Amino acid sequence: MRTPLTGALAAGLLVSGAVCVPSLRAQSPAPPALRNVVSRNKAKSLSTYIVPRTPWGDPDLQGIWSSDDEAGVPFERPTGQTRAKVDGAELEVLLEEREHQRVDTTAALFGLTGGGPPHWYENSGHKSARTSLVVDPVDGRVPALTREAETRQGRRNPMGSFGAGPFEGPDDFSLYDRCITRGLPAVMFPTIYNNNTLIVQAPGFVALTHEMIHETRVVPLDGRPFVANRMRGYLGDSRGWWEGDTLVIETRNFSDKTNYRGAGTHLRLVERFRRNYRGVRYEVTIDDVHTFVRPWTAALNLTHGAGLFEYACHEGNYAMRNMLSAARAAEAGGRAGR
Amino acid sequence: MRIRFTGAIVALAGAAVVTLAVMPIAGQAPQGGRAGGRGAGAPAAPATAPAAQAPRPAAAARPARIAGHPNMNGIWQAMGTAYWNLEDHSASATQFWQLGAIGAIPAGQSVIVDPANGVIPYTPAALKQRDMNRAGWPKSDPEAKCYMAGIPRSNYMPYPFQIVQGQKDILFVYEYASSNRIVHMSNHTEAPVDSWMGWSNGKWDGDTLAITVNGFNDSTWFDRSGNHHSESLTVEERYTMQGDNVLIYEATMTDPKTFTRPWKIRMPLYRRLEPNVQLLEFKCVEFSEELLYGDLKKK
Repeated sequence: MRTPLTGALAAGLLVSGAVCVPSLRAQSPAPPALRNVVSRNKAKSLSTYIVPRTPWGDPDLQGIWSSDDEAGVPFERPTGQTRAKVDGAELEVLLEEREHQRVDTTAALFGLTGGGPPHWYENSGHKSARTSLVVDPVDGRVPALTREAETRQGRRNPMGSFGAGPFEGPDDFSLYDRCITRGLPAVMFPTIYNNNTLIVQAPGFVALTHEMIHETRVVPLDGRPFVANRMRGYLGDSRGWWEGDTLVIETRNFSDKTNYRGAGTHLRLVERFRRNYRGVRYEVTIDDVHTFVRPWTAALNLTHGAGLFEYACHEGNYAMRNMLSAARAAEAGGRAGR
Repeated sequence: MRIRFTGAIVALAGAAVVTLAVMPIAGQAPQGGRAGGRGAGAPAAPATAPAAQAPRPAAAARPARIAGHPNMNGIWQAMGTAYWNLEDHSASATQFWQLGAIGAIPAGQSVIVDPANGVIPYTPAALKQRDMNRAGWPKSDPEAKCYMAGIPRSNYMPYPFQIVQGQKDILFVYEYASSNRIVHMSNHTEAPVDSWMGWSNGKWDGDTLAITVNGFNDSTWFDRSGNHHSESLTVEERYTMQGDNVLIYEATMTDPKTFTRPWKIRMPLYRRLEPNVQLLEFKCVEFSEELLYGDLKKK
């Protein structure tokens, strides 16, 4: 525990562009207790639950899926915590700590004006017993950055409006500040609100609409090749297929403006969606040998969401003009930034 | 499914071997090498990769109907120049003389089929507003600012859109500004709040997809010529297949605060037929920032 803001970053609040530079550390093998948890989970996934089907025979993943129930779970497992899940009295203490931290963070980031009281937020009061969203490596920590990535990170300002600036123009803000995108896979992880993904399927396609900032990935399932390697985008290019009842989506062709925890043009994602008795199990493997010393995987349990609102982010982005005009006013007043 | 998988294996014979194991608990990494080979950006496969072969369905023939209704899945795009001006317009210059002929507006015939004169039936005050909008173009145009374009404008902009239709709610995905809308095919409710893209409740009227859209704000336009509406707008849309590759699009606009009577547009939307055509990314925020914030950049 460092500061409330650091905790928020770990929880995924700023995952669009913000990166907590992971500290270098040795990877530890799974303790025996964790291995037991793992094998129990694997057994449950093989239960008798029957995955529904579309009229054309694909597994039916359609619906509104929310990551709210994973709110508060740190992205990386805190130092000193050795278990992937906790229970009993330890869970009660953990949930209370998380709620205090969330309230402090919300107040620190947004104050008590404008955003409403902390209990209004959709990341309020959730009960996940997991201790990290990262599930592989088994220590629940993002693997170390490569030396190349550390050099690259030093040249970036991934904190955006939460950083120290300078704010000379729009490029000095994060893609999230600018209402461009939360990025992939960041958009799948819970933030303060609008944590919904709508899945609609058609023969040969699956479409995923992310409520936050509003964007849709239409993923072909027909075996076509990726677009040319030189075509790049904020959301890259996705292809999907079924492995049994699991939807697998591979995404590559990210642009050089992508910054997922330091990864950019070489980033390759493999996401897996599988229906279960309470929602959708989501896993994403992050693979970029130019950025991480090994691939790693994070997972979420998505549950039924209530509905999507239109998130007109850019249309209502008064913050960009306000922040830039504040920076110019500060310069005119002879002060350096904020 | 089995039959499709078998076909896929045949179809993909000769394609790159695909290995797909994501067993995070086991610490195993998924491997690349999809059809098309390993691009420059793809990481090398670790030697420990399991050699599991993934079945890949080949492109299936498009069924004519889905759950009993016409299959409107596809990528669609309007032709013509309605995105410049819904009404009749001769060719004209813009202020962007540096672009030469590229900056000119091509001529176009009105897509308004009712009233018969092809002119939008504005109230006098609303017509004055339209002329002010036009005088302030392009900065007055929400498209220049990369704002969501609303309905019906999103359907005839010079960008494709995709209809994703299964047996439940239908999704319209627009390339422009990553905008989209959900067409609620059951559990129709009122719009919870005004929005840019409106609130769409759809139903099948025979083989026509009929969508009522309302809950708009007053900030979207109909074209680049300042044609506008208020937050009281209701759009009644009708989509009807004409053969396999044409979708006839009709929209009737009702807004007593702006128009003296309802009016209607009609145009064909054409299926994009290029092999492997797909929606691409047009996240235009970055293209609008100089216009919106340029005056506040450090000089």
